[in-house]
Amino acid sequence: MEGRLANMWRLTVNESKFVETALQYELRVDGRGLYDYRKLTIKFGKEYGSSEVQLGQTHVMGFVTAQLVQPYKDRPNEGSLSIFTEFSPMADPSFEPGRPGESAVELGRIIDRGLRESRAVDTESLCVLAGKKVWSVRIDLHILDNGGNLVDAANIAALAALMTFRRPDCTVGGENSQEVIIHSLEEREPLPLIIHHLPIAFTFGFFNNGNIVVMDPTYVEEEVMCGRMTVTVNANGDICAIQKPGEEGVNQSVILHCLRLASSRAAATTKIIREEVEAYNREKNLQKVKRHSTLAKSEVFGPIVVVKEGHKKSSDEDKSAEISQEHVELKNSKEQEAVASPATFKGPETCSVSSDPAIKGKANDSGDAQKEVTGDVEMEDTPEVTKHKDGEKTLRDAVKPKKKKRKNKST
Amino acid sequence: MNAQVAVSPTSLIDQIVVPGDVVLDLSNMTNQTIKLGSGLRQESDAISAMRAGKFSYSKPNKYWVESSHKRYIPRTEDHVLGIVVDYKADNFWVDIKGPQLALLPGLAFEGATRRSIPKFEACTLLYLRVVKTNIGMNPELSGTDASGKASVFGPLKDGFMFETSTGLSRMLLSSPTCPVLEALGKKLSFEIATGLNGRVWVNAAAPRSVIIVANAIMNSETLSATQQRIMVEKLLAKISD
Repeated sequence: MEGRLANMWRLTVNESKFVETALQYELRVDGRGLYDYRKLTIKFGKEYGSSEVQLGQTHVMGFVTAQLVQPYKDRPNEGSLSIFTEFSPMADPSFEPGRPGESAVELGRIIDRGLRESRAVDTESLCVLAGKKVWSVRIDLHILDNGGNLVDAANIAALAALMTFRRPDCTVGGENSQEVIIHSLEEREPLPLIIHHLPIAFTFGFFNNGNIVVMDPTYVEEEVMCGRMTVTVNANGDICAIQKPGEEGVNQSVILHCLRLASSRAAATTKIIREEVEAYNREKNLQKVKRHSTLAKSEVFGPIVVVKEGHKKSSDEDKSAEISQEHVELKNSKEQEAVASPATFKGPETCSVSSDPAIKGKANDSGDAQKEVTGDVEMEDTPEVTKHKDGEKTLRDAVKPKKKKRKNKST
Repeated sequence: MNAQVAVSPTSLIDQIVVPGDVVLDLSNMTNQTIKLGSGLRQESDAISAMRAGKFSYSKPNKYWVESSHKRYIPRTEDHVLGIVVDYKADNFWVDIKGPQLALLPGLAFEGATRRSIPKFEACTLLYLRVVKTNIGMNPELSGTDASGKASVFGPLKDGFMFETSTGLSRMLLSSPTCPVLEALGKKLSFEIATGLNGRVWVNAAAPRSVIIVANAIMNSETLSATQQRIMVEKLLAKISD
């Protein structure tokens, strides 16, 4: 009991009085104007569908996962969207571990209402087999630090996580064509969720019996203020949800004022989220490209030799002509390549192997052939020939290895 | 004697140490007295650090580890800002950001008698002095200085209180005056009370000045002296136009 008392954060009389008097002069304790927002930063995790949002001192993490479940009976062809909140005592000593408190439930409900009832996420596209299997999307929101205005931060975290989430592709097949096959991320490109619009929550604090309105209250202001209202709007100015807890009555004109403020801010916040998501996607794509190229290089033995064979079979006659054409440029490229992949010096041997009539361009066979080649090859450096060979390899290399890899995987 | 001191500790003085680091070896420091401050402990002949921070030394013989925390560990004779939580059995329970609540006897004020114990409602801000910090007991506070006079201690009226790290509050109290306060003091007039427990109270005639001072101090947490001056100048320039 005493330990909890010691850890509690409390507001002094001085602070609460000062916050109110400063607001009379239209000043806020952190130096912002009445309708200014704190600095918003969005970060993403390594995996799909994880986000971290910082709004001033407030810190929220969002994580999205999906699994196949049976749909609700009344909506057989719609997926579902559910939101779970986690208020850790580390974020604020007043949060109790264990069952979710009142504020945790309220936060979840506000975000849930904004996202689901405005149909921001297309749930029908989450259907796989009507009445049997649909995707159930789960959003987990972890509050890491409470610096006030958790609702807005959590809402942005949920949106950012949803926008970067990718669910694995799946097809219906099998004997009775009722089985669902989930393709792994490597096999097929995972699919993003369909999001129609971004409902963004804005919280207002009321002071002095509703005469002073403040946007994005901090935790100090939240303690002092007499009323609160959360408005969820999207960039088009549509109102998706309104939540007005507390007893304090607020004038109709004040509410309309808040709505106008919210819709004017919504576009800017939407832009920030979209930009961050785009930057993340771009980076993700770049990583993908890099991964393929490094793979091709490290597996020097595999694809490279096969390429040579393939080339040989297809264009045995043209080869000499081609070589002479390519010779000059290849020389250069070879100098570089030689360092990265010493295996390319096996020019002459591969020639002999591939001319073997037993091997006829089949993927499986060529696989065996590779082993032979790589196994009993003794390094024999005949500079002229190797140069040609390597040159061919490096050119084709860019196109063919991918194909080869895919074949291997599917077998 | 001084020559001997210079042998082992100089290597670590003003360096960052982590818990478990042996900072002093007493075996080659015989026949001298040393004083250990916070964050250090003795295990037979070795003095090791218990906290991460800068290992500091002050002449003639004081050693301590300087660190910055969000939580305050009470030490005697520290001046702190406390918030009254409760009044029970002639004692005020005061929150000083420590692991336990501190006790403030109702009689520990100048001129207080059984009949006239001062009344503070919950959430009053007080400037106090730590008197006792015994292990296993709640620390004890006092509203008077060592000679029983009220001097600077007592309740703080109006103004604004904000929380910082203990390192920052120590910097604010350092002498010569820390650059933020010096730069601010040239342009603004304000009152300030800094508790070593990482609480700072600021008051001024205009709420505007209070906000400027409070934010300038909070921003200076990670800045060097020159950066602090530049930051304050920029802030003041923004306000004046």
